[in-house]
Amino acid sequence: MNYASFGKGLAFAVTAAVMALGSSTLAKAEVPSWCGPKEASLALLDGYGGNSWRQVTAASGAQTASLCPSITKYEYVDGQGDTQKSISDIKATAAKGIDALVVFGDAGPAVLPAITQVYKSGKVIVPYRVIVGGKEGENYSTFVGTTFVDNGVAWGNWIKEQFPNGANLLYLSGPAGNSQGLEQLEGLKKVLGPEYKYLNPEPFDVTNWDPALTQKVLTAEIAKNDKIDVIVSDFGPSLVGALPLFQKSGRSIPALATSDGNSLGCLWHEVKDANPDFKLFTVATGTDNVRLAVQWAVALATDGKVPDTNVYVAPAFEDSATGKPNAVQCRKDLPGAIYLSSELPAEDQAKAVGQ
Amino acid sequence: MNAPATTPEGLPKRSLPSLPLARSFVTVVISTLVLLIVCLLFVPSSLSGGALSGSLPFAAIIAIVGLGQLLVVQQGGFDLSLPGAVSLAVVISTHHPHQDNALLYQAVLIALAFAISAGIFNGVLVSIFRLNAIIATIGTNALLYGAVFAVSGGVPSITTTLLAEIAGGDTLGLPNSVWFALAATAVVSFVLKKTVVGRRFEAIGANPLAGRAAGLRVRLHQLMAYVYAQLLYCLAGILIAGITREPTAFQGDSLLLPSVAVVVLGGTSLLGGRGFPISTVIAAFFLNQLSQFALAVGVPYSAQTIIQALALGFGIGVYSIRWSVNLRKATETKNVEERK
Repeated sequence: MNYASFGKGLAFAVTAAVMALGSSTLAKAEVPSWCGPKEASLALLDGYGGNSWRQVTAASGAQTASLCPSITKYEYVDGQGDTQKSISDIKATAAKGIDALVVFGDAGPAVLPAITQVYKSGKVIVPYRVIVGGKEGENYSTFVGTTFVDNGVAWGNWIKEQFPNGANLLYLSGPAGNSQGLEQLEGLKKVLGPEYKYLNPEPFDVTNWDPALTQKVLTAEIAKNDKIDVIVSDFGPSLVGALPLFQKSGRSIPALATSDGNSLGCLWHEVKDANPDFKLFTVATGTDNVRLAVQWAVALATDGKVPDTNVYVAPAFEDSATGKPNAVQCRKDLPGAIYLSSELPAEDQAKAVGQ
Repeated sequence: MNAPATTPEGLPKRSLPSLPLARSFVTVVISTLVLLIVCLLFVPSSLSGGALSGSLPFAAIIAIVGLGQLLVVQQGGFDLSLPGAVSLAVVISTHHPHQDNALLYQAVLIALAFAISAGIFNGVLVSIFRLNAIIATIGTNALLYGAVFAVSGGVPSITTTLLAEIAGGDTLGLPNSVWFALAATAVVSFVLKKTVVGRRFEAIGANPLAGRAAGLRVRLHQLMAYVYAQLLYCLAGILIAGITREPTAFQGDSLLLPSVAVVVLGGTSLLGGRGFPISTVIAAFFLNQLSQFALAVGVPYSAQTIIQALALGFGIGVYSIRWSVNLRKATETKNVEERK
């Protein structure tokens, strides 16, 4: 008996040791295919760096670049929401001799001339996520986008599963007319037929992604509509303060299809028992979009193998109904303003957001 | 010009000076009643208990910052450092305690210290160095936002449960934030109208030169207006931190325009002088109910904005029409007096 268990233990230990050895050599050898042999320097130029989403993104970008030993230097520049500064940042970074630039062009087409100028001077430049206009190979090396339509489709499919016979929807997005909100609506409409009724004014309730305004908007909608079956929002964490309003008016929080955030996951765990209708489905909030952009820039600058796609698709993240791909996540010990869907470990995110 | 005290015929008209208070008060109350009736007819849901308990806290916030702006406007000034001040109070009261209730009182004290410093800084620039109030306070706003970033890095933090309970809870059926707003109104009204300091403050606002001639400490009163205002902004910021579970670092930005709007709606002249705290607070309710009405109508965002603008125009319009009538009466009195 004793001997047998000792033997088992020994076998286990040996296996573990072998596996550990194997994986460590594997880790050493594993230079990603997008990382080529040519040495290069890289900069990530943010249009606006002042929120947790951006800070996690910046940290993710740095971490991705650090996987490639050919990258000799990595810089992060914050445009501070100032279009003029963003433009001069792009030009100055190129003039300093950085070989590859990844640009979050918040100002949109306003930064295109600077991007084009840098591209024409022979640098690698990859704008990502925000459409800046222009053409690949003419104004920039490549554009790494994301498909907000797919978010809408994912939400729509989930809503269809939860409410097969139709439902009353409330769709909230950011500032009036923002393209993300419109693309997501396009996705929702692809999947959901006329039996799904939108309670919000066309095309969506404007919240500016501001939690206080979200609270006001939701107050009005709750008072107006006796039956809200499901809320769709593209920024889940901004709803955290507003959702308890349902309980205040003696109703259960309805189903919610949105993007993830630690504070939202924790709220779900906190109130789920008192709110039987509160089912939660999230797609990843997209802080990993930057990784694909960095991979492209590095591949082009170091003669590595370019990734297969230049479109980032946000995967589904949490589903409280099925637990697939994940059950609802909450890290109470870490700040609310981090995103557990991110590839960057939660502890590193907490460091990145400075708490 | 010295005649009025002794003209017998001037006596019946003597009741005129009490009219301005009635006028601004009546105007804002009528506007609010009209709005409430319109709400009742078209979107009764915007007046339901749930809607009110959800929206009143925001009315309370606008009322408190409006009172702060009122005090500065009374001295012929303008305080554009409001967004930075409110945001700083928000981030200090969420980031410093970091969800630890025991640290909340420290955070409140730190926020108060910042508010007083910012107020003195504004006051010194405007009243002693005679800088233009708009320019000086814009500069202060930038400094305050610097502090906001230093404290928060622009990242929101979840509020403490204690603050959420204090600011977001209910007492006697009314949201606590409303009680805070009522208390602030009572204090401002009482001090302004019933104490020596308040009477002097108002007199200096009406005419600083006359105030100086009368031996009042004009600059000190002008300086203190900015300090009082900052204290009120600080209160508003702390309340927002409690009402919104995860407030952003820029929560003050959307309050600047409403703060001036309610002062104007409340009937206070932007040139300074007499202030109407109670009318200002009612105007805050009006403005908030207006945006709630626009939201509840359920029309597209563009139409919501137009409805708000029109109704605001109506509110100010009602006021202006009465104002011109009174002006005529006032000039008539003046003519009568001059003829004497």
